[in-house]
Amino acid sequence: MAMMLQRKLLRRTFGEGKAILNFNSNPILSPCTSFSTVTSAAATQSHDAPRQLPPFDYQPKPYNGPSADQILEKRKKFLGPSLFYYYQKPLNIVEGKMQYLYDENGRRYLDAFAGIVTVSCGHCHPEVLNAITEQNKLLQHATTIYLHHAISDFAEALASKMPGNLKVVYFVNSGSEANELAMLMARLYSGNLGMISLRNAYHGGSSSTIGLTALNTWKYPIPEGEIHHVINPDPFRGVFGSDATRYAKDVQDHIEYGTSGKVAGFIAETIQGVGGAVELAPGYLKQVYDIVRKAGGVCIADEVQTGFGRTGSHYWGFETQGVIPDIVTMAKGIGNGLPLGAVVTTPEIAHVMGQKIQFNTFGGNPVCSAGGLAVLRVIDKEKRQAHCADVGSHLIGRLRSLQDKHDIIGDVRGRGLMVGVELVTDRKEKTPAKAETAILFEKMRELGVLLGKGGLHGNVFRIKPPMCFTKDDADYLVDALDYAMSEL
Amino acid sequence: MMHRFISVRRLFSETKCSLPCQLRRRCFSQVARNEIDNRDDLVRKMPPFDYSPPPYTGPSADEILSKRKEYLSPSMFYFYTKPLNIVDGRMQYLFDDKGRRYLDAFGGIATVCCGHCHPDVVEAIVNQTKRLQHSTVLYLNHAIADFAEALANKLPGNLKVVFFTNSGTEANELAMMIARLYTGCHDIISLRNAYHGNAAATMGATAQSNWKFNVVQSGVHHALNPDPYRGVFGSDGEKYAKDVQDLIQFGTSGNVAGFVSEAIQGVGGIIELAPGYLPAVYSTIKKAGGLCIADEVQAGFARTGSHFWGFENHGVVPDIVTMAKGIGNGIPLGAVVTTPEIAEVLTRRSYFNTFGGNPVCTSGGLAVLKVIEKEKLQENAFVVGTSLKERLTALKNKYDLIGDVRGRGLMLGVELVTDQKLKTPAKLETIHVMDQMKELGVLVGKGGFYGNVFRITPPLCFTKEDADAMDYTMEKM
Repeated sequence: MAMMLQRKLLRRTFGEGKAILNFNSNPILSPCTSFSTVTSAAATQSHDAPRQLPPFDYQPKPYNGPSADQILEKRKKFLGPSLFYYYQKPLNIVEGKMQYLYDENGRRYLDAFAGIVTVSCGHCHPEVLNAITEQNKLLQHATTIYLHHAISDFAEALASKMPGNLKVVYFVNSGSEANELAMLMARLYSGNLGMISLRNAYHGGSSSTIGLTALNTWKYPIPEGEIHHVINPDPFRGVFGSDATRYAKDVQDHIEYGTSGKVAGFIAETIQGVGGAVELAPGYLKQVYDIVRKAGGVCIADEVQTGFGRTGSHYWGFETQGVIPDIVTMAKGIGNGLPLGAVVTTPEIAHVMGQKIQFNTFGGNPVCSAGGLAVLRVIDKEKRQAHCADVGSHLIGRLRSLQDKHDIIGDVRGRGLMVGVELVTDRKEKTPAKAETAILFEKMRELGVLLGKGGLHGNVFRIKPPMCFTKDDADYLVDALDYAMSEL
Repeated sequence: MMHRFISVRRLFSETKCSLPCQLRRRCFSQVARNEIDNRDDLVRKMPPFDYSPPPYTGPSADEILSKRKEYLSPSMFYFYTKPLNIVDGRMQYLFDDKGRRYLDAFGGIATVCCGHCHPDVVEAIVNQTKRLQHSTVLYLNHAIADFAEALANKLPGNLKVVFFTNSGTEANELAMMIARLYTGCHDIISLRNAYHGNAAATMGATAQSNWKFNVVQSGVHHALNPDPYRGVFGSDGEKYAKDVQDLIQFGTSGNVAGFVSEAIQGVGGIIELAPGYLPAVYSTIKKAGGLCIADEVQAGFARTGSHFWGFENHGVVPDIVTMAKGIGNGIPLGAVVTTPEIAEVLTRRSYFNTFGGNPVCTSGGLAVLKVIEKEKLQENAFVVGTSLKERLTALKNKYDLIGDVRGRGLMLGVELVTDQKLKTPAKLETIHVMDQMKELGVLVGKGGFYGNVFRITPPLCFTKEDADAMDYTMEKM
């Protein structure tokens, strides 16, 4: 499959001669200074493919392992037919460094999805790597039946990032486990049964978090217990637009008519991830938290994707809505890829959990705790939150300009480096452009950009890269998208 | 920090005051050991070990305890009246903040199978971490495929489709969901005294009140435990199996989703299911249209010595096998293995696990399988375990406090009772003995509904000398 693309080198003045550049993985150090001027020129020249990826001073190791075909063969045989993957011809990713990934041929890709919003500091970030390696050499596992400083140091550091009285930490191994535990806490503390979640939410794939998850593609037909799915406060597709009050009233309705009048709790992502980077209508959470608390319930903020500075304006997603939850769940970015999750709550709620034994064998192990602590330090030291705000607003700005140019872009939304681009075939009807999204998705891969996909109809590009993503990377991404859309 | 490998025997002869400053730090553990030896000369010296941990300069036990109380779960318990600050581990030994060496007879709860910081496993993990730690299965990577293949090759029958999770609880949750989807039924049968996890469905399957919160746990029926020591039918497996038949006929629609059990109950106190039980039950379950799930979280990966998997000791082939703990020598990893036919149910919707099957954990898992084979750990578990069990049984014949010695390979249990006839659980004595054993340098685990069973599940590199030291120490108590 020919991956060579014609590249045109644009000089500052149009109409001059063109040169063809080879698209290869060697990070040739080309002058960056003129890059942004060149790309803005490129943006207006919709027929030109973008130049190569921003330069990167790193050489991946040679790869001598099994080929993509061999791996695919084994996957089909030993990993089951339900294990899906991206792309018609799936990509064999063998190495990663910061915001870039490398395939078996050493070709570099811009990772705009971060292993599903997980690689927060950057692939193989040296500080995180160092913490993990050093701890692995000392003690990997002993469990909390013995003491170890790594878990307590990490818990303290995490708690210090939380507002209010949120300071008791439970370590688990995934987002699903975290949300499961949060649900248990809500039911125990309140003494009530009903949980409320938003339509279009994703909270996990285990049998009870499937109940909270509200997208049919992810819901197996099993009993879920008492869960009420309320109207999604979706500014783009929601029936009430951005009117938070009317959406909040739906929660009130569900409680008054669908429950005993009392509920266990409410859970929401501030920006829905799997659902397609949908930001909740402004002011929604404040009103709903009030309603839920009056009905005896607790408020759970699922920060699995929005946490750790990704939204740019704030450290935690829920802060963008001006609320303080009773329970916060985290995973994904918390460990830059380590299997780690956490639940943070108040001492009052934690106290109820003390009635019985609650234990997690792997949770809080020294290696993951050391890695998690290193991640917190990197995010602070490298000012990743401010960086997300800066690069994110640049990215969103450029995407909005792109939206003016291409009718297929129905909506550009998000905050910081948690961005979504929704594609539609009809701007009025907002008909999801499923097929086009799939085509563009493949095209972007050919151009060296790995995006994510989401939304119930699979028509939303999710752009949530490692938080070291630069403005140059953003420019390249938008230029590539521009080119790909022009070619449609 | 450098690891200094000094021959322990050589150090043993040097005295404290003649050592220069540098050496003093090196033989830290040796000095500490001398002090303890001097305290109690009944203590049999632990087998020599050619490793000295780097000096520890981190927070003290008290500082950690204080932070734990403030920032971690109030129900987070710890062993011992004076909890241990464990900072280093090497093979079957652990080291505290003073550099004192302990014989780890618990293996981080039957989890560290190859040995703490086993070089092959550490190397695999570190090398992969440096290359690519996480990308998800949305892209290809050979590590997950290679490990799935190797794991599948270890299983009998048509068990060859692997799902990776991050813990035993996740694995059992998935197994239960698969069984319910495949059969279209909701009812699952588990054994009283079982432990399968603490999430929504697994809390239902877990059957010990101290682990069950007051929340809805639907669709699980708890059968009589085929416990040879305390069970009403002794070792008659088939009599217990009839209880399962009863539950199905009277408590369900007549069809069930499945049955789940450990081959040797871990948390429940190393209880081996009565012989003949599993084959009878598996037959009953199959007739009721259900699937048989074998929870190998503790008994798997060569621990029972005689076989690789716990269920093999009972002569059955399950439909679904779940694993965790030992699978990765401590890495957060779990797995569910089933047949292609059963695995197909998950294609009805999308199932995804973000961290599951990541390159680092699967590389680690593959290294573990290789170590178990290369170092013949299964055989070691058999030889050392059998010998240790014999010695413990001899102890039982000698001391009335020991009510039962049971288990297989390096999954052994010693139940303490105050009355041999009535089998009254010796709770306090167990806590006391456990504490004393720690003082003497041996770390065991505790289990059983009454907390009166010692759980001996060390790293599988545990030697005969270690077993001797342990047995000697126990006797001294």
